[in-house]
Amino acid sequence: MKLTRRNFLAWAGLSAVGAVACEGFGIREGEFSLQSPVSLPEDLVRGKDNWYATLCRTCPSSEGIVVRVMEGRAKKIQGNPLYPINQGKQSARCEAGLQAMYHPERLAGPMRRSGGRGSGQFESLDWTAALDIFKGQLQQNGDNMLMVTEPLRGHMAKLVDRFTRAMGGQHLAFDAMDNIAYRAAVKNVFRQDSLPDFDLANTNFLLSFGADFLATWVSPTRWNLGYGEFRQGEGRKRGTFYQVDPRFSTTAASADQWVPITPGWEGYLALSLAYVIISEGLEADGVDVAALTDGRGVGALDAFRPDVAGARIGLPDRLRGETPAEFITGLAREFATKGPSLAIGGGSAGAHTNGLFNLEAIYALNYLVGSVGTEGGIRFNPAPPVDDLPASADVASLADWFSAAEGLNGGRTKLVVVHQADPVHGLPGSLQFRDALNRDDLFIVSLSPFIDDTSALADLILPDRVALEDWGSDIPEPGPGYQTLGVQQPVVNPLSDLDPRSSADVLLSMAGELDKQSELPWDRFEDMLKETSKELFELNRGSIKAGSADEFWNTMLQQGGWWDEKATSSARPNPSAGLFNTIAAKASEPRFLGLVPSRDTFHLVPFSHISLLDGQNAHLPWLQAVPDPLTTIAWQTWLEINDGDAARMGLREGDVVIVSSAARTSIRVPVYLTPAVPPGVVSIPLGQGRLDGPDAATGRRASESSNVMDILEPSQVEGTGAFAWANTTVTLTPTGTSIKVSKFEGIVRAVEVGNTEAERIIITVRPEEL
Amino acid sequence: MVTQRVDHKWGMVVDLDRCTGCQACVVACQSENNLPINTKDLFLQRRAYEWIRIERYWEGEFPDVKARFIPILCQHCENAPCEPVCPVFATYHNDEGLNVQIYNRCVGTRYCANNCPYQVRFFNYWEPVWPERLRNHLNPDVTVRSRGIMEKCSFCVQRIRRAEVTVERRERSNLDYATMKKRNFLPACVSACPTNALNFADQADVSGPVKEYFDDVNEHPHGEAHDRKTRGYRLLEEMGTKPNVIYLKKVDPFPLRKGVSHGS
Repeated sequence: MKLTRRNFLAWAGLSAVGAVACEGFGIREGEFSLQSPVSLPEDLVRGKDNWYATLCRTCPSSEGIVVRVMEGRAKKIQGNPLYPINQGKQSARCEAGLQAMYHPERLAGPMRRSGGRGSGQFESLDWTAALDIFKGQLQQNGDNMLMVTEPLRGHMAKLVDRFTRAMGGQHLAFDAMDNIAYRAAVKNVFRQDSLPDFDLANTNFLLSFGADFLATWVSPTRWNLGYGEFRQGEGRKRGTFYQVDPRFSTTAASADQWVPITPGWEGYLALSLAYVIISEGLEADGVDVAALTDGRGVGALDAFRPDVAGARIGLPDRLRGETPAEFITGLAREFATKGPSLAIGGGSAGAHTNGLFNLEAIYALNYLVGSVGTEGGIRFNPAPPVDDLPASADVASLADWFSAAEGLNGGRTKLVVVHQADPVHGLPGSLQFRDALNRDDLFIVSLSPFIDDTSALADLILPDRVALEDWGSDIPEPGPGYQTLGVQQPVVNPLSDLDPRSSADVLLSMAGELDKQSELPWDRFEDMLKETSKELFELNRGSIKAGSADEFWNTMLQQGGWWDEKATSSARPNPSAGLFNTIAAKASEPRFLGLVPSRDTFHLVPFSHISLLDGQNAHLPWLQAVPDPLTTIAWQTWLEINDGDAARMGLREGDVVIVSSAARTSIRVPVYLTPAVPPGVVSIPLGQGRLDGPDAATGRRASESSNVMDILEPSQVEGTGAFAWANTTVTLTPTGTSIKVSKFEGIVRAVEVGNTEAERIIITVRPEEL
Repeated sequence: MVTQRVDHKWGMVVDLDRCTGCQACVVACQSENNLPINTKDLFLQRRAYEWIRIERYWEGEFPDVKARFIPILCQHCENAPCEPVCPVFATYHNDEGLNVQIYNRCVGTRYCANNCPYQVRFFNYWEPVWPERLRNHLNPDVTVRSRGIMEKCSFCVQRIRRAEVTVERRERSNLDYATMKKRNFLPACVSACPTNALNFADQADVSGPVKEYFDDVNEHPHGEAHDRKTRGYRLLEEMGTKPNVIYLKKVDPFPLRKGVSHGS
């Protein structure tokens, strides 16, 4: 008889001697006892799992992830513990990369339009034929090409940039809620080109204006990491956090104090705080107020005295029992004396006509408290380790989109190539981008692995690989304070019934066939990454120690990237002379393009959905099913309205209202009542209202799933051309119909019901009681 | 040489002062534990499956208004109200402090869910359905529950078992907190939580982040809660269920209820 392990164990089990022998061999007793059905051995799972490092692409911050792969299938996504940006942590969005990969409605292979444009009728064709069509179009219309992509950094940015240049076309990166005004403010105030990092873990007093940084703004997982330490980090005092926001956002809910403000007046509040700090001499040691104000001192900010500004900016008559002027003065004193302090701003604060002024005023506060380039303050990142690799995702402004639409309408643009972007869904309705694309003399190529509102209009679809199957890279923005390059690698192959092709490889092969090798000398995208890997290897520093370029490359893939903690930025920018005078001179009220704000109108503050963002994740069931933290609503659009306003209009939860702006369309949305929206303000999340695509994104009625972008005024942030998306006033008209809101919360609003303090669900404690 | 079984007692500590309600734990759990996809209908029927969920409580009125978040999962009670009512012993308490659900014993009486004061048990009214292709990402370590079965948070028992089998039995080394963390044996929600609001370890592990709190809360039971040195408390503590999950009080410098001594 052949001696197998099974036979051996059978023999051993039969004999007491066997047990003794096994002890001698170091086999555990547990192996011999009969397994009861209540404790099934969990180690009987077939296959061995491997965890591969790569990058997540379900949100623009591109976190480092590790993917559990078992028998050729991706099973789980987690944060990459080594990756400096998220340090093993993840957002709710990361995980859904799995669903993108195994989505039932993924496009299987190339398709050509067979019906009218937008009819949704496509026929399959093979890659050779499809690429021939694409090549023909590039040959003929390459110099009249508009290439639209998601915001790009790293190698893909370099590739697309060179590709469009080689063809003679134009490249626009699409971001529904762009950071252009924020970027411009950083440039004007700190003279830095890339977005800064915030040292939240060491901040003591955090003052945030409009930025929903714990949910969606810029790099939320990174901010959450710092925020945890800010609250209860080892060996530090608990930080204090004020959120100034016209909307009670997820971030505002985490603040110690939410400060409601009329939309668009954040800059006035910031300068009012500066007034108090300067007039009371509370600026940090070594801050040269005379230089900041060109010698005028507090006189430069006289128009922003708390009693003047406080009356205008819409703070409640009593906030914590204080008048607006008292509140501003108290806040300024705390901000100035409880350092290290940090002022950040973004989101709706920068999305008004005066958004640039607002953000500059906010960020300039950091000079007064000495938080620029210091611990607990604003930190800057060094230049990328290799040249010629874009580290900032430059996106197109609304002004750019207007001229792009003109180019389409005028027939000058003949070819549109779209990669992982959905401008038809995400641009304001008044821009009429759908109509601009709906032309017979235009050829549209989509590189999307899914149907969305833009690819539904395409003539040719060349489905890309999804993130887990593809190569890529990222230079995180903001970086962690030192040089970092994240690498994305294919961790699994596409399923056999799918035939996607990496868009990067498609572009490179087109460049090759059209003799553009001088610009794009690589055969495959992987080669491009390897070339950079070699350059990094030759630098001979950082997180990877390797004896050869190959070893370096393999280690880089294992770790998910390369970084050098010693390669920090020494930037500690000094303010330009008279910075506060310059900013004060820019001060202006938000101007509204459409309806003039009045008693009968509401300010509309749209916001990025916590998991769907602008709608880019709307096809992923897990992310549709993520309840919004504040309302607990999932799978639909809603409008947040104050209890009092709703009562006045006779509205109850689920009542459908028509939301109209002066823009040409209106949308229908069910209302959700909250005690926390300021009277006169309503909020609607982005993300829903897709017309084409997988069932998860589209399969609902218009009143349940509408797109707030349709009604936004095409306002621009003055001085930048950025989209002022918070700059719309609307009217609400009840329709008389009502729907059941799909939410996690019960029928009754959840409030604390404990009879005593100790019976509360969430027990609170004052810091001084600890 | 027969290895000795190590007696663990697992526990979780949730710091409410760190939680931002971001939902990362919720999706991480759904992915790890093969939870059915929460369709819109499930939400409308109030039958959405979330082994860990974020509850939001409002307090006050505009402008003095607050919303507070609390992650709620199976509390793995020592005196679990769900256990004695199960007629078939499908739910029981194991010697590691876990409240365990044995799926193939469950006959679906739903008594346990009725008796759970924390509302953390979820019943499969229908066979869970995944589109064929999506089944590829199901976790092979976790049973897919069929129709008629009760399910709930298991503290990711599959990871704990893997840890015990790999580290204690195969490698014969010490399964301390650092090992749990480094080798990815912590529950999926804990591993995901970006603010480190969720912490998990053996309650006796001196190197772990939970011992201090369990010691304190156990030493000063409900009636003597004011003597506690930490912010620790148990959810609905007056019910005497003795959960193996401890919450740390939210710190609020500006409480809305003036004149009330918080946390006493």
